Amino acid sequence: MLRGYLFTVLGIAIGVAGLVSLGAMSERIVRFIDGGDRFVLGQISVAGRGMGMGAGFTAGGLLPASAVAAIAAVPGVAGVQPQVMLPLNPSTSQFMTLTQELVLGFDLSVPMPNRHYRSLPVRAGRFLREGDRRVAVLGAAFAASRGLGVGSRLTLEGESYEVVGVLDRMLTAPDRFVMVPIADARAQWVAKDALLRTVLASGAMPLTASDLNTGAAVGWRDGEDPDAVALRIRERVPGVNVQLPSELSQLLRSSTAFFSALLAGIGVLAFVIGGLSLANTVAAAVFERIRDFGVKRALGATDLQLGREVLAEALAVTLVGGLAGIALALSLGSFIDAFVAGGNQQLFHFSPRLLGGALAFSVLLGTAAAAYATARVVSVSPAEAIRRAS
Amino acid sequence: MLRAVGLVKSYRAPSGAPIRVLGGVDLTVKAGEIVVVTGPSGSGKSTLLNVLGLLEAGDGGDVWYQDDRVTALGRTARSRARGGYVGFLFQSFLLLPSLTALENVLLAARYVGRSGPATRQRALDLLAEVGVADRRDHFPPQLSGGEQQRVAFCRAVLNDPPLLLADEPTGSLDDANGAVILAALRGRARAGAAVVVVSHRPEAAVGATTVYRLRDGALESSWPHE
Repeated sequence: MLRGYLFTVLGIAIGVAGLVSLGAMSERIVRFIDGGDRFVLGQISVAGRGMGMGAGFTAGGLLPASAVAAIAAVPGVAGVQPQVMLPLNPSTSQFMTLTQELVLGFDLSVPMPNRHYRSLPVRAGRFLREGDRRVAVLGAAFAASRGLGVGSRLTLEGESYEVVGVLDRMLTAPDRFVMVPIADARAQWVAKDALLRTVLASGAMPLTASDLNTGAAVGWRDGEDPDAVALRIRERVPGVNVQLPSELSQLLRSSTAFFSALLAGIGVLAFVIGGLSLANTVAAAVFERIRDFGVKRALGATDLQLGREVLAEALAVTLVGGLAGIALALSLGSFIDAFVAGGNQQLFHFSPRLLGGALAFSVLLGTAAAAYATARVVSVSPAEAIRRAS
Repeated sequence: MLRAVGLVKSYRAPSGAPIRVLGGVDLTVKAGEIVVVTGPSGSGKSTLLNVLGLLEAGDGGDVWYQDDRVTALGRTARSRARGGYVGFLFQSFLLLPSLTALENVLLAARYVGRSGPATRQRALDLLAEVGVADRRDHFPPQLSGGEQQRVAFCRAVLNDPPLLLADEPTGSLDDANGAVILAALRGRARAGAAVVVVSHRPEAAVGATTVYRLRDGALESSWPHE
């Protein structure tokens, strides 16, 4: 059935490959934003008031153990996990990066309070355990960019860490994280921050190790409104910055508004460019065969028979072309991602919904274009159809 | 088998002025007859054949296939009438390049609801009859002009149509191949088909029942040829 359609299939494949590639870039950004949104909506993030070394959602001053205990006592709170989040490289250049590499220390004596991330998906090895020291679990992009795997060693602030696990690629912030036990993160914080070392050495503040937290992830009890619990913490615990999950989500959304607009533009472009290319290819293939239609009508083909025949062919051609285009886009995307992986990047995300949608879109559009072209072609007499192609 | 009365057809010149090609043509062809229409290039021979074969509509007049007034039919019924009554042979063969010789022949059966081993066997027999059986799996570009026209002839007669319309069937062939095709057409007439041949070549008139010359939109009786 598809004999003689090689160039049509190629034309469709290129159109669909363009659509899928642009769509995959758009999906990549959506996944990144949605991942962050899902994370912040799964917990109440609390930091110490003021400015400090902390990075990401725990940016702020110290969150001492007394504050952690006070938060845990607030009605509706289910669990408080102290955390230390630090930039891996606290140089000024890092401030300009959108996706900073971070060290995240967990207090593993407390279960993960984030409702959407009770555990992080481990691709190889294992996650951190209570009692671990000098071990690290790496985000997928971080590990790939440095060629690290389970059993590798990593030096952080002069100390050697054994990599015990590597996470699945999540296409969001944790891909660039180095996760360590909180005690190790605290040690790194002290090593990185000269001011903190000075304060500790001076004895001006009665600090213990458990006071060195940049923030905490707070969970809420079933049936509680997370925003209400967050407001309760804000009212009852002085000296902390409490982020309402909905506010943080909105903040994240507004800060990524440019990217949202960009991906919408990419999506529209993908549909217009890929769609036009595909529709044009299919319609041109039908118009090109006007003589064949003239001959078939001379042989007794009715409009209905021709229509059915063309639609079946269009369906088959767009399906094959669509699948070839998807394969082409997957190959190109994999090649480009492999090329940029050294730079800790992944540019494409080929989600099932994108691939399925692109295939359905190409088949529907191809069939519609074929139907339109066929209607135009059968509107001329068989003699005219034969003459036009001569 | 074929009767045409008062066929009229005009085209528009680029200037918009009407050019009358057929000015009330009457024609009757009985089963077993071969009618040859001659005339200079541009005289309207192909247009006459197209109107007779329902490949394009005339501006006036009527055509009957047996007792069916086919010019009164709707689009679908006209298509069915073409498939059921008429076999076409064109100067440029008009084989589909994406199909093999055998598939091109079988195409004629597809739209009239015939298929199956018997039809395939008949197609193979026809190809053997005209000497191109060994070319059945070749595509048209792999065939010579003579071979292509033989395949086209097989396609035209696969359904045993009672009417054969041939538009310059030897126009693109050398003498030897032309003779094969004309002989095949005469054979169909002997088998009972009504045959109309449009040609400017004199040898097409050999064996014709009637020869007409198309001039100024009208058929002039020429001479029967032995």
